[in-house]
Amino acid sequence: MEKVLLRNIGVCDSHTLTVYAAHGGYAPWRTVVESMQPEQLIELVKASGLRGRGGAGFPTGTKWSFVPKDNPKPKYLVCNADESEPGTFKDRLLIEQDPHAIIEGTLMAAYAIQSHTAFIYVRGELAFGAIRLERAVEEAYQAGYIGKKIFGSNYDLDLIVHRGAGAYICGEETALLSSLEGGRGWPKVKPPFPATHGLFGCPTVVNNVETLAALPWIIEHGAAAYAAMGTEKSKGTKLFSVSGHIARPGVYELEMGYPFKKFLEEDCGGVPNGKKLKGVIPGGGSMPVLCPDEIENVKLDYESVQAAGSLLGSGGVIVMDETTCMVRAAWNIARFYAHESCGQCTPCREGCHWMEKLFHRIEHGEADGSDVDLILNISGNIMGNTICPFGDAAAMPAAAFIKKYRDEFEAHVAEKRCTVRGME
Amino acid sequence: MDPVKITIDGKEVVTSKGKTVIQAAAEVGVAIPHYCYHPKLSIAGNCRMCLIEIEKMPKLQIACNTQVAEGMGVFTQSPKVLAVRKAVLEFLLINHPVDCPICDQAGECWLQDYYMQHDREESRFEVGKVHDRKRTIFGPNVVFDGERCIKCTRCVRFCQEITKTDELTVVNRSDHSTIDLFPGATLDNPLSANVVDICPVGALTDRDFRFKVRVWYLQKTSSICPGCSTGCNISVETYQNRIARFKPRVNEAVNSHWLCDEGRYCFHDLTAGERLTTPMIRQEGGLVPTSWNVALQMVFAGLRSAGPLAGILSGRNTNEEAFLFAKLVKMIGIEAALEVFYQERELTAVQKLLVSPDRSPNFRGARDMGVANDGFDALLAKIINGHYTAAYVIGEDLVASAAQPEKVRAALEKMSFLVVQDTRLTATAELAHVILPATHFGEKEGTYTNRQGRIQKLNAAVIAPEGVMQDSDIFIRLLDLAGARNGFQTAGDVFAAVAREIPAYGGLNYDAIGDQGIELGSGGGGAS
Repeated sequence: MEKVLLRNIGVCDSHTLTVYAAHGGYAPWRTVVESMQPEQLIELVKASGLRGRGGAGFPTGTKWSFVPKDNPKPKYLVCNADESEPGTFKDRLLIEQDPHAIIEGTLMAAYAIQSHTAFIYVRGELAFGAIRLERAVEEAYQAGYIGKKIFGSNYDLDLIVHRGAGAYICGEETALLSSLEGGRGWPKVKPPFPATHGLFGCPTVVNNVETLAALPWIIEHGAAAYAAMGTEKSKGTKLFSVSGHIARPGVYELEMGYPFKKFLEEDCGGVPNGKKLKGVIPGGGSMPVLCPDEIENVKLDYESVQAAGSLLGSGGVIVMDETTCMVRAAWNIARFYAHESCGQCTPCREGCHWMEKLFHRIEHGEADGSDVDLILNISGNIMGNTICPFGDAAAMPAAAFIKKYRDEFEAHVAEKRCTVRGME
Repeated sequence: MDPVKITIDGKEVVTSKGKTVIQAAAEVGVAIPHYCYHPKLSIAGNCRMCLIEIEKMPKLQIACNTQVAEGMGVFTQSPKVLAVRKAVLEFLLINHPVDCPICDQAGECWLQDYYMQHDREESRFEVGKVHDRKRTIFGPNVVFDGERCIKCTRCVRFCQEITKTDELTVVNRSDHSTIDLFPGATLDNPLSANVVDICPVGALTDRDFRFKVRVWYLQKTSSICPGCSTGCNISVETYQNRIARFKPRVNEAVNSHWLCDEGRYCFHDLTAGERLTTPMIRQEGGLVPTSWNVALQMVFAGLRSAGPLAGILSGRNTNEEAFLFAKLVKMIGIEAALEVFYQERELTAVQKLLVSPDRSPNFRGARDMGVANDGFDALLAKIINGHYTAAYVIGEDLVASAAQPEKVRAALEKMSFLVVQDTRLTATAELAHVILPATHFGEKEGTYTNRQGRIQKLNAAVIAPEGVMQDSDIFIRLLDLAGARNGFQTAGDVFAAVAREIPAYGGLNYDAIGDQGIELGSGGGGAS
């Protein structure tokens, strides 16, 4: 398989404009500006089948086409570099090693919606990555790829790197926009949607780093080349961040539809130390965990993972071997969501902490018999009832851990101690 | 307005385009439970209490942010909706201290009400409530209890969107989210206490009212704020014949949902101090009590033989009282100039949202009734100049309120006849030859005409003390002495005469004023 996203990774000084340009960088951008109408670009990306890599998998070209053309307000393109999904570190690699690919993709997306101001909202903790982005933007300005009258055309575009302050919720697009506006990082009530009422009330598109980084390749090689990869509905390639009990953790680029089991066992070297696999989260901390028997025939694309009862999400693969206490794992994830809930709407604000406290009780042998069902009930009361998908992100893993490892939870309650680690 | 047909719980409803489901439902009397939604504030959508089911939509939707669409089928009582209401209430209550017995909001708390209507389950929460700040002073009138707060952000939005003073914000995250003042800010804008009204729970309470009386003991009387001529619609709430608080009543033509702090607390000054309960007349040794008969005879005789008379009516007197006063002076037939008390002051931008520059809620009505000359300031100047040898002062302390009190005092001291009709022994009353103990705004029925020309109804919220007489009765008795037999019994009788005799009020019907008032010139005959 030809690498789309990781093609420059590993090249010496890949983060510099000199090296990026030497490998063909910014030539696609020139092609776009000099020879394509915005509508053509949108149609091309639609044809490529590229879908949003932030987690939801929404078709990118379609998202762009929602921006009203007759709206007199300025339009904004925002690159979401606030990667903070637990177990996900694919964007960080691109930000640090191939910032120009992100910038080039951002410029193309901005051109597609005829935005003249674009932002890269980079997660606060990615300090090193932010510096690389800032330098890369500077280089691109100096080279005339960004700024006034790009390539002698009438198209002007400014690109601003904005550092977030480290809230998980700011990865949610409307919270990101609130934060970018200078407000609290609170998701906005929808409708209206960002395509018509986004940043400062103006039409806005928010695209993920990985989505945008694929654009230069698509322009260079054509929509058909991209669409030729992957499955019928999930085209192209996708990055996977693999962590946990696995021999070779790291970021992998796979063609969509790659067999999950083969990936874990062959590409990643399987579970080390002769241990058996106990569970794997396929798409970042907010997605339901899968048992070993559930991944037997799963392929890594949006539809297949969903059919198996989880979601592809951000591609953050977290592997857990047989020594893992699933109660503790569930508690750890619940603790993250309890801490990161923005506190705006009731079910999430109150429910996430309640679940966390109950998981804590079970793990520490203080639970009573009804706590396990109570968590299921709370997670059901959060699901679908919140302003943004954060509520679901907290509720789904909690319910999945209990449903799939119920015996372990019951044992913790019955024996009033952690039955896996044997120490609590 | 394009009509849109929807069904709510199976019943067909015609509403208009652009309306939200919560508005369309309210129009037909279906109250969808909510906390954060307020008709005058932006949509926050955070409480999740108004989640409802919509046909063909997989997820429940919030009624406050869902616009109606042709053919939409809304269910507000389906099993899914009832279940989510219970769930949201449970979430709201897990960290709530449930300290209703010591909470001022108890009895008018939306948590209590909805819990009784929609939940009534035992708490399943036993893992330690989150604690927050108690009795935190936000401003001169408002105190905050963080543990009772449900983070609906109505108060924050009020300060952002209505007063635009931005004192409040949300700080911290997740279940430690709480409302706080911005550093260095104080919640002291002129409308600050409205946040107490819109707080659906006991988080924000009124420092003036709290711990005075449980709200279920309050008697509520619709009336008009006596603070200024904006004429905000209020509910005068009393306990054991005392005014405990003012609350705003909704009137979109006047004050919308709001009431300014000055107006809200003005009843304290207007009702403070020892009441006069017996008429008094000046004798050699000073003021001595007398009977109403003697006092009224003296006033009548004094007025009839008076030189040029200055008559000053309080801006808090009703149209009916003003009408009778003007009629009385005319009937006696002496040289007289009548004016209604009127002073202006500078207002800040936030005050101007609601407050008028005067403190005379009915100055316009009094002038309409004929209590009008060359303006109050001109009349006062002439009094100071010694132009008048007699004065009849009603309900205002001319000495204390004057810019130059000593000059007013000296002028009044020189008068050969001074009648003061008031509720208290003011500095002005101390100079009087006859004092008539009268009633204040909370004890009388009648009408005010506000600055905009809207006639609104005042109702008696408390009973006047024994020995005092209603201002209107005093004028009627004096008119009787003057030989008029009008037969007025009630404020309504007098208003009927107003409608007959004052062209601008022609054809108006007292009962039609209702609790929302009527615009002058819209009541039938009008000025024709």
